[in-house]
Amino acid sequence: MSTAENVQTLPILPIKNTVLFPFMLMPLNVGRPASIAATEAALASEEKELVVATQRDASVDHPGLDELYSIATKAIIKKMARKADGLLDVVLFGVERVVVLKLETAGAYQTARVKPLPLPQEKSPEIEALRREVTELAVRALAFIQPQATEDLRRLVAGDADPLRLVYMLAPLFGLDIEKEQALLGASTVTECLRLMHTYLTHELQVLELRSKIASEAQTEMTKEQREYLLRQQMRAIQKELGGDTPEQTEVALLRERLAKADLPDEVRREAERELARLERLPTAAPDYHVARSYLDLLLEIPWRVSTEDLLEIPRARQILDEDHYDLREVKERILEHLGVLKLNPTAKSPILCFVGPPGVGKTSLGQSIARAVGRKFERLSLGGMHDEAELRGHRRTYIGAMPGRIIQAMRRAGVNNPVLMLDEVDKVGRDFRGDPAAALLEILDPEQNRTFRDNYLDLPFDLSKVFFITTANTLETIPQPLLDRMEILRLAGYSEEEKVEIAKRYLMPRQLKESGLKPEDWLFPDDALKAIIAQYTREAGVRQFERAIGRIARKIAVRHAEGDTEAAAIAADDLTSWLGPRRFSLEQARKQLPAGVATGLAWTEAGGEVLYVEATLLPNGRGLTLTGQLGEVMQESARAAQSYLWSHAEEFGIDRDRFCKYGVHIHVPAGAIPKDGPSAGVTMAAALASVYTDDPARADTAMTGEITLTGLVLPIGGVKEKVLAARRVGIRRVILPRENEKDLSELPEQVGKEMEFVFAERIEEVLSAAIPDLNRQVSRRRAAS
Amino acid sequence: MNERDLSGRACWCPAADIYRTRTGWLIKYDLAGVATHDIEVTIAGSSITVSGIRRDWQLEDGARHYSMEIAYNRFERTVELPCDLSGAEVALQGREGILLLRLTCQGENP
Repeated sequence: MSTAENVQTLPILPIKNTVLFPFMLMPLNVGRPASIAATEAALASEEKELVVATQRDASVDHPGLDELYSIATKAIIKKMARKADGLLDVVLFGVERVVVLKLETAGAYQTARVKPLPLPQEKSPEIEALRREVTELAVRALAFIQPQATEDLRRLVAGDADPLRLVYMLAPLFGLDIEKEQALLGASTVTECLRLMHTYLTHELQVLELRSKIASEAQTEMTKEQREYLLRQQMRAIQKELGGDTPEQTEVALLRERLAKADLPDEVRREAERELARLERLPTAAPDYHVARSYLDLLLEIPWRVSTEDLLEIPRARQILDEDHYDLREVKERILEHLGVLKLNPTAKSPILCFVGPPGVGKTSLGQSIARAVGRKFERLSLGGMHDEAELRGHRRTYIGAMPGRIIQAMRRAGVNNPVLMLDEVDKVGRDFRGDPAAALLEILDPEQNRTFRDNYLDLPFDLSKVFFITTANTLETIPQPLLDRMEILRLAGYSEEEKVEIAKRYLMPRQLKESGLKPEDWLFPDDALKAIIAQYTREAGVRQFERAIGRIARKIAVRHAEGDTEAAAIAADDLTSWLGPRRFSLEQARKQLPAGVATGLAWTEAGGEVLYVEATLLPNGRGLTLTGQLGEVMQESARAAQSYLWSHAEEFGIDRDRFCKYGVHIHVPAGAIPKDGPSAGVTMAAALASVYTDDPARADTAMTGEITLTGLVLPIGGVKEKVLAARRVGIRRVILPRENEKDLSELPEQVGKEMEFVFAERIEEVLSAAIPDLNRQVSRRRAAS
Repeated sequence: MNERDLSGRACWCPAADIYRTRTGWLIKYDLAGVATHDIEVTIAGSSITVSGIRRDWQLEDGARHYSMEIAYNRFERTVELPCDLSGAEVALQGREGILLLRLTCQGENP
């Protein structure tokens, strides 16, 4: 093979910053016009060959022979694609090492005369040793560069037995500089090439090891938080890649949007923005994140400024109130008064009402009806059994699981700041070491203070002054005085038989028919059957049991209908057992005849009025006063006062004074198992004692009530309506009342007022003369005698 | 020969299908555009090497590459067979861009 044969003239492609080694592929971007022309020339040839030479200086655009390394690589173009901007993407494959002898210009490009420069083939133990050493070093160094691909690279590197190919393959992997790569290409023997590579690799490995050491030291120095922060940032980036924004960012954005739209007072807006800014900085996993988030939710949901428009048409309100409830004149008037005030003065404070009455008289439903009448939202919360102040006022946010109090929750549910808020069972608030909810109620129910009600959780003032508060209670006894003071008490007394019948016809029967799916013509329900139910199956001031009994009958009729019998059912007063089972209460009847020493009294209970008998008897050779029947202290004292008064005025009543000294007296008030208290049995005690001392029986058709004093005055008592109704229920038609209670008779249904006879007393003598007919005769006899 | 060994390394490698035939072997090479006279067959022991060169040619004046994917220049493909090939008869045939290489082995008894 002559030298001349091997010399070729090929287009030359100068490259910058890299060296193409034989057997290696190299993708290349050809951009310089001369290079493009040279590539085109190679493409037009049969064999697609050109010479790739590295520039000594990357900044030169048209390098001459001196500016190129003379040891170059002959390459063929494996692939080519033109790009839109006219540049070429080529993939070159190095074929062999050549030496550039001469450059010639051929039009737009240069050609080079090149001669192959093959390395002498050698085989020696030294080469083998060097090959192994280089392989070993390369694998170690690659472990630093590409830890995840170590195994693949190790196989690739160790697999190639040809030492020269190994070097050429490794050289581009380590990013050596041009001089070193060119030195490798220009090595005159395989041994020299391997030695050079060994030196470079050793150096590279040292640098890599040092770098890794520095990196790991830096990592140890990095604090735990920094690392967590870094990881979190990465996680965020990943989440962002996966699906747009991170969830918490959308959440914050959503909250921000809501905040922008919400109508908030300035102070609240500032707090909300502060909290939102804090939320943005918090990682989702932090426990505080959720605390802040639910707090913001609350801030945005509370009706700071939202309120409903009141419907101030009094005729319409009156109609609604009348539709929903029978009678209850006093309460309805009070509501209408307030509407009238609101019409003239829209900023008037809402009243705080307290409905007191026995169960089942319609306190709660009256609240709903009021809300409907004035066009406000209705919310209710029960205070029964509540014994923790925090339930009303909330927990501070520092506590885990803290929540706003029930008041703020009710406002949130209502969605407006002027609802009718009903606080049920205000008389059943408990109290213990955790605090006194009644004390918290003091603030809530005070129009002067509740303008800036501060919930512990919310920690911002909230205006409760527009809320129409209604509380309900069965009794006022257990309500603390300061709380009672803040409320306007409206009594809902029990209903009379006639009222109950009326209520049944207007509300209970239609409601029960509807619930059972019946039509009004499906039953015939005469008034006397209703009355019989009231008397024999219920004992209550309200109408709950009564309604249940009606419901039971309705369901029985529904069963008949379901079985095919669609005839209208007639309910007769004497046939109630077939509908409701055996009667539950025997007809309560007044005692027909009273022996001496018994008087008829009237008592007020939470369930309405009761008739009770006070029995007194003399104990020969006994001493003092014995009281039984679970009497409270007040009642015992009034018994003593009655005895003392009779003792001191014995002559006036024709009583032998010795009887007071010789006999002890025992007073018993059945039923013995029920605790009783209160001053209103004073007159009854006095009548019973007068009767036993004089041996004259009291009238069986007369009941009495009233408090007495030691000087014989009769003082007014409460619960007149219930007491009168109770008397009437058992058939008593004559009632002795304190004179001052005369005004309360207006509460009575007209029918009752007509039926009953009332005796009004100012002094105890008047009571006694009205109750014990024979006493009159004695007194008048005595008077005549004197 | 040493020189050639290094500098003459092929830069691409054609795909091949190998068939067992009644009389020996049939190897198909994906070698379109290669003239039969540019192909060289070498047998050494049980391996058979086909090498050569694919040259591009200008189809019409003024046509220039817009893109290029076909590999040109030197190729080489060595196939290892499970029997000794010394003395086998080689026949080459070009057919629709496929090079067919038949090996008829003496004493081969399929």
